This record gives sequence, C-alpha cells and structure tokens, in this order.
Amino acid sequence: MNMTLRKRGTGMRLTAVLLAAVMVATACGSDSDDTSPSATTVATETTAAPEAPETTTAPTTEAPATTATPTTTTEAPPVGPAQGGDASVGLEAEAPGLRPWEDTCSSPCYNMMAAVFDKLFEQYADGSYGAFLAESISANDDFTVWTMNLRPDVVFHDGSELTAQTIVDMFVVHQTGAQSAGVIASSKLINVEATGDLEVTYTLSGTNAIFVANLSRAPIGMVFAPSTGADEDAVTAAANAPIGTGPFMVDSRDVDNKTVMVRNPNYWMSDSFGTQLPYLDSVTFHPIPDEGTRLSSLASGTVTAMQSLRQASIRDARDTEGLWLFEHQGNNTGGGMFNVTVAPYDDARVRKGLITMSNQAATIEALGGEGISLPTTQLFASESPFYSEAIAAAYPTHDMAAGSALVQEYIDDPDRSDGLAVGEKISVTLSCPPDPTLIAAMQVSQVLWEASGLVDVELTGFDQATHIGMAVGAADGTFIGTHDIHCWRWGSEDDPAAGMLSGFGDPFDPSGAGALNFSNWYDEEAYGYVVEATLTDDVAERAALYEKFGLIMVEAMPIYFSGGTATVIATAEGLGGLDSWEMPDGEAGIGHPSAEGRWSQAYWAAE
Amino acid sequence: MSSFLPSWIRTMFRVFWAMPLVTKLCTFWLTTIILAAIFADFIPKLADPSYQGFLFGTDVTNDGQSLHHWLGTDNNSRDILSRLIYGTRVSLTVAVTAVAFGTFFGGLLGSFVGYVRGRREAAIMASIDVILAFPALVLLLTVVTLLGKRNLLVISLVVGVLAIPYYARVSRANALAVSRREFVAAARAIGTKDRTILWREVIPNVMPTVLAFALVSAAVTVVLEGTLAFLGLSVQPPTPSWGVMINAARADLRINIWPVIWPSLMLVFTVYSLNNVGDWFRIRTAHKTAAL
Repeated sequence: MNMTLRKRGTGMRLTAVLLAAVMVATACGSDSDDTSPSATTVATETTAAPEAPETTTAPTTEAPATTATPTTTTEAPPVGPAQGGDASVGLEAEAPGLRPWEDTCSSPCYNMMAAVFDKLFEQYADGSYGAFLAESISANDDFTVWTMNLRPDVVFHDGSELTAQTIVDMFVVHQTGAQSAGVIASSKLINVEATGDLEVTYTLSGTNAIFVANLSRAPIGMVFAPSTGADEDAVTAAANAPIGTGPFMVDSRDVDNKTVMVRNPNYWMSDSFGTQLPYLDSVTFHPIPDEGTRLSSLASGTVTAMQSLRQASIRDARDTEGLWLFEHQGNNTGGGMFNVTVAPYDDARVRKGLITMSNQAATIEALGGEGISLPTTQLFASESPFYSEAIAAAYPTHDMAAGSALVQEYIDDPDRSDGLAVGEKISVTLSCPPDPTLIAAMQVSQVLWEASGLVDVELTGFDQATHIGMAVGAADGTFIGTHDIHCWRWGSEDDPAAGMLSGFGDPFDPSGAGALNFSNWYDEEAYGYVVEATLTDDVAERAALYEKFGLIMVEAMPIYFSGGTATVIATAEGLGGLDSWEMPDGEAGIGHPSAEGRWSQAYWAAE
Repeated sequence: MSSFLPSWIRTMFRVFWAMPLVTKLCTFWLTTIILAAIFADFIPKLADPSYQGFLFGTDVTNDGQSLHHWLGTDNNSRDILSRLIYGTRVSLTVAVTAVAFGTFFGGLLGSFVGYVRGRREAAIMASIDVILAFPALVLLLTVVTLLGKRNLLVISLVVGVLAIPYYARVSRANALAVSRREFVAAARAIGTKDRTILWREVIPNVMPTVLAFALVSAAVTVVLEGTLAFLGLSVQPPTPSWGVMINAARADLRINIWPVIWPSLMLVFTVYSLNNVGDWFRIRTAHKTAAL
C-alpha cells in the first residue's frame, strides 16, 4: 500500500487560483469604512470554535485524518512569488526549547520548529498524509513493517547529508526523549534499520495501520542532524541552536526576546514555478504573551505577523484595518478536565453534575467567542469523518436541575469519596492560566455551580508553564499531577490514533503508555476500542470504534468541552502564502491549523 | 451648627472650611468613597457585585450606561458601579493597612534609631537599606507568589510589612532633627530618661510628618494594589478591586472601553486626592513644627 502521492487535476488548481484572485480583489477593492479588508476576507468561514482554557500543550488528543477545514482567506495568488523580504512574528509564548523529541511544545513553538525542521510526512489540505522529506512509504499486510524511502540530495544546515543512517541515529535519541519516548511506545515502534542508503525499515511490535501519522508529528517526525545526538552537551545545545534540514537556520536566539532565523541557501525544495524556497530572507520570532499587546504590535508595524488562539483576539483582529487574516477552525477545542484520582472528582456523578450545570454558550460569550466559535461535544469537529452524532446527542446540555440532582446524590451518599459528612457541600478548585478571558469563563462556571447551593468553588490561576506542569504526570506512572479541575485544550488535525493511545492509556502503566493521560481516567473497555482503531485503516470502521469510545467517555466525563478553538495568523497586508503552501508534489498542504504557520512558503506579495 | 455638635466635629468643619477649594473637593471625594465602601451593603438597590445576569436572562454583557446599570456592565454582565464600590474596599483596606503598619512600626522604629543613634542605628538602618535596595514591586511579587494564598488579608499584610522601611527612614530623618532641638537637650539636662524623652518629645514631633507621608504613600499603595491586581497577584476573582476590573476588561478594550475607564478614573481621583490632601497636611504641620 502506498500512502504517498495523489494527483489532482490542473482544473482544481486553476479554480483555486481564480478563487484566490477574487478574494484578493475583494480585499483590496474596498477601503470604505464599513468593510475593512480583513473583515471582508475573513468572513469566509468562521464558525465554530471556542476557547476555553488555554493551555495548549501537547495536545493529547487528536484528530482525524481527513478533515481539516482550513478556513480563510486572503492571499495573493501563487503566481510565482519572488524571493526577498523579512517577516517578524509575534508569538503567544516563548518556546521552552527547539528539540522536537524533548521540549514540550505548543502552537508558538511549532511555528519556530517548522521553520528549522522538515517532517518526514505532512498533511494535505484534506488531512490525509503525504511524503515530505520522505519520498514514499509502504507497509506489509499486517502493518507491522514499514519501509520508507528518503528524498535524495538533502543536506542539513551543518552540511551533513540526510541518509537512512540519520533516521537510525535519531531513533537512539528518540528512545529517551521526553516527548518522543511516549510516541514510540504508543506507536509500537521497536526497531529502525537502514536497509539502503536512503531506505529505512521500521519494525513495530504489533499492528499499527496509521503509523505514518506518527511520522508527521514533531516528536519523531521532525528530522534533525546526526551531530545533535553526539553527546549530552550536543543534545543540550540543540535546545537553542537546532540543526535541521528546514528552510531557515537559527542565526541567533535571545530567549524571551527574539529568535532570528535566516534563509537556508541549500534548501532542497522549490515551488511549482522552480523558485527555490524559502521566499523570505529571514524570519524573526518574538514572544509577546499579552494578546492585546501582540495585536497592537502588528497594527503598529512593530511585527509583521502574529498568531493567536484567543477568540477575543480574532474578534479584534477582524476590526483592525490593514491586516490579512488566516483563520482556522478544526478539531481543536477548548474545555478542561478533572483529575479523577482526586476526590470528589473521582466520582462520575460529580463530574457529570458539574458539567451539566455548566453553560457552554455563556462560557463562549465570556471568552469573547460569540459569533466565532460554536459549542463542541467531542474531540472531532462536525466536518471530521470521525465526528459522531450519537456522542453529540449524549453530551450534557445546560440543565441546572439535572446537574444539581447528580451532585446531590453524591452529597447524600454515606460512602462519598471526599470523606465529608452526608449533606455537606463539595469543594472544588478550578484553575486556568490568568488570561482575562479565561478568568471570565471560570467565573461563569463558578456562579452556576455555586448557584446550586451544593458546591463551593475556589478559582486559581498560574502561568501557562506551571499550569501545564501541574497536570503532566511522570512517564512511569509514579506521579499523576497536582491539578483539580484544569482548563485544557483538546484535539488537533493529526490522525487521532497516536494521540488517543497515549492520551487515554493507563496512567499508572510503568511503560509510559498513558504518559499523556492528563485526567488520569482509564477505562479498559473504552481503551480497547482506541487500540482496535489502530488495527485498520478503514475510516468508517475506525469512526465506529471512536464513537464507542466516546460514548463511554461522555458517561464518565473525565474531560469536557466548551467550544472549538478558532485560531488566526494575522499578517500585515501583503504578507501571504500561509494558506497556499504546497507539498513537494504540488498539492496544497494543510494550511495553518492551530495558528501554526509554514513560514517556508510565506512571501511578500508584489505591489 | 455650632452648639449642637461636639467640639471635635466643629473643629473638623473649621479645618475643612480653611482648606483651599481643590483640597475641599479632594477631601469630599475621599470621604464619599470611604463611606460608600463601608456602607456598601446598605446602599439601596446596589447590585450584587458578582451577579452575572446574562446567565439568568436578566442582563447582557458589555452593556452601556442605562437606568438599571448607571455605569454599564462588564464582560460577565456584572454591574460596574457595584463592583467599583465594593472594589474600593479592597483598595482602601490595603492602603489603610499599609499606612497603619508603616506609621506604627516604621514610625516607632525610625524615631527610636534617630534618637538613640550609635551601633543600633547603624545596624537597623543597614538592614533597612538592604530591603530598600530591592525593587519594591519585585519583592512584593516574590512574597505574594511564595505565600501562594492571595486573599485580602494576605495582600494587606504583605504590603503593610513592606511599607515599614520607608516609614522608618522618614521618621528617622525627622527624629534626628528633633533630637537636636533645645527642648530635647533641656530634657536631657534635667536627667529625664531616654524612654520618656522618646515618647513625650521625639515621637509626638515626628508623627505629623509621618502622617503627611502616610497620606502620600497611601496613594502609592492604592496604585501598587492596582498593579498587583493587574498582574493577577492581588485578590482572586470574583472579589472586585479596581486593578482586577482593569485587568479583566482589557480583553474587551476594543469593543467596550468603559469597564476600563471607570476604575481608572477612580484610581486617578483617589490618588490625586490623597496626594493633594497629604500635601496640604504636610504644609500645615511643617508650619506648626517650625512654630515650636
């Protein structure tokens, strides 16, 4: 089975170009007060999504292989952009490090990593997988042995060549990486062998029909130079001076201030017009944590682009003239989780009762996402092939009486797990990072829960790194986090298999199978469906299995959802290419999910 | 009004009457917000500052000024006027606590070392200089973060304790001058004990200046609490304070600026009033001291 290349007709490309041209004409054609360019263009499709807590992190869960719904936008047609120009990008946070296998990464960090590293596989616009740094891949009948061929004549920033042995050397580093070790375990990868100069053979301990999805994710999919793993010092140095094959090379990095990357003159990829990539001479990343400041920096010209996962920022960016907006809504959704190892969250009646009392629409409004994001009920957006109407119907809707009844039942239970006397209120702690919109959303939950007269709510907030650290357990199951009810984001455009395996595995398993199970909820039957879904590449069959899993999870309610996450990369007028980047075969890439841009194909449109 | 009122109230009225117009207005402002904060629970029809009407279909978020909500509503549809008044409690509680701590402990400490001099003065002032060498805000952030709990009591105490060195310096400087005055020398000459001189002669003459400084530093404390709140390190939601309100509203600044404007105006008026009244008080007490 060859998972790689598919071709579409030139008609489709022509249509896309024409559509883009129309959009640009619309964007540039009106300067009147009532329609700013950005407002006009964006409108394309802004639906659903939400926001919720914020965190981000390495998203546990994941999303489907075929979905995506890149929304957006503006853009000049890709009529052979010229090389030149610089971009400076305001990010919502600094990257803790630039080692894909080691450093905890989220959207801002992936913007930087994608500029330095290429992945073996990337996703097409429809969410399926295609070869990028690899050239092809095929599997045996039971999906336990995968043979991959690498692209020839690719060199790293340090001049060394990409060979099959590079991938073998990477595997040595991957086995102890904080991010990669869990992926290796959940993907069942046990051996990597160079079976030719450019041919690599992956051997798995069991069937994994969507192994390619793992090779498209940062931890084991991004390719780094063999010298990186030479010794401990080299591994440490790679955090700030990574060496990849990517379109840009790190020129300087001043943590918490700026990271400057310059064009890789030996980059292997050219666009369909034969122009060598990247187009830009340099791209500089600035962490600007405050949402308002970041947008103001863009509006004032201090930076030429910014990314955001906040609904209020999207709302404000739409009202700012002179910007191009690249919006996206997919499977990523806001919400949160209960640490089910802590009383009273260890009782499903409490979890479900609280969520039934919650009000998704009000939460979204408090987050500033009214008219931007829609309530969500599961890990998949409605456009995903894995979306389930049955789960949507089963997810609790706002009902104070029903929610109160569930909590009351717990309170009246003589065996209640929190050890308090029958009839005493439960006490819960809700925590989100201290962003104003998240604080507003927390207060919505607080008022509703306390209105029941059954719950005392304490609100807390810690910076994002601390917030994530509280929920991240140890890989060997010896530490399961110190959180209570924690804001969190769920889902992505990746295939759900890999993320769900480690996101819902047994958190106490010393092998690390559940290392990314932040809620610590584990159900053997439900997890069995997740495992079973990796044994086939039939989408309908997998969807049915994920539905079974989801229905059990809705009953247990270890995690909850507010609304889908609308994201945006906003640029100064003229800086485009983020939604039209191409795979090596000329087909459209997935765009910019989760506000992660591929800056290699960004360009300044000619005036 | 004369004969029906106690003499101290009549004195207060006389003092008030003698103030310049701007100082009168400032005093009136401060009196009003202090009374409103104290008696907020008894103000008729004042909304619950945490009530989010949009959850129950009675209000909307980011609403403008109306008869129902004189200053509009915030992004959780809470009444801004109510939150301003209840928020005054937080700002003033922190300010009063800091002033009380500073005046009492800092005033006494500074007066003591300014009078006794010698090694004790050197040791205590060196310690104070070390504390003052740290940027105040950084020190405050560190202490609040380390303590973990962020309720009104903790914030007030932390700010109060950190205010002590500033008061100690001011009172020491004045105690040095007072200690050289003739009446102190005379008291020493007739064999009066140091403790008596300190309590009867030095501290009473140092305190007016410290109180004037207290009024000015109260203004600084109000701003400091606002800064902490803006950084998310003051009282926890949903307890309102002016800084908390400004911080919460900044996400919606582009669609509704009023939830930022009102608490900012409260801060400006209050800080200006404290400074103005403090200056007036300083000038007045400086004149009296010289008259001694």
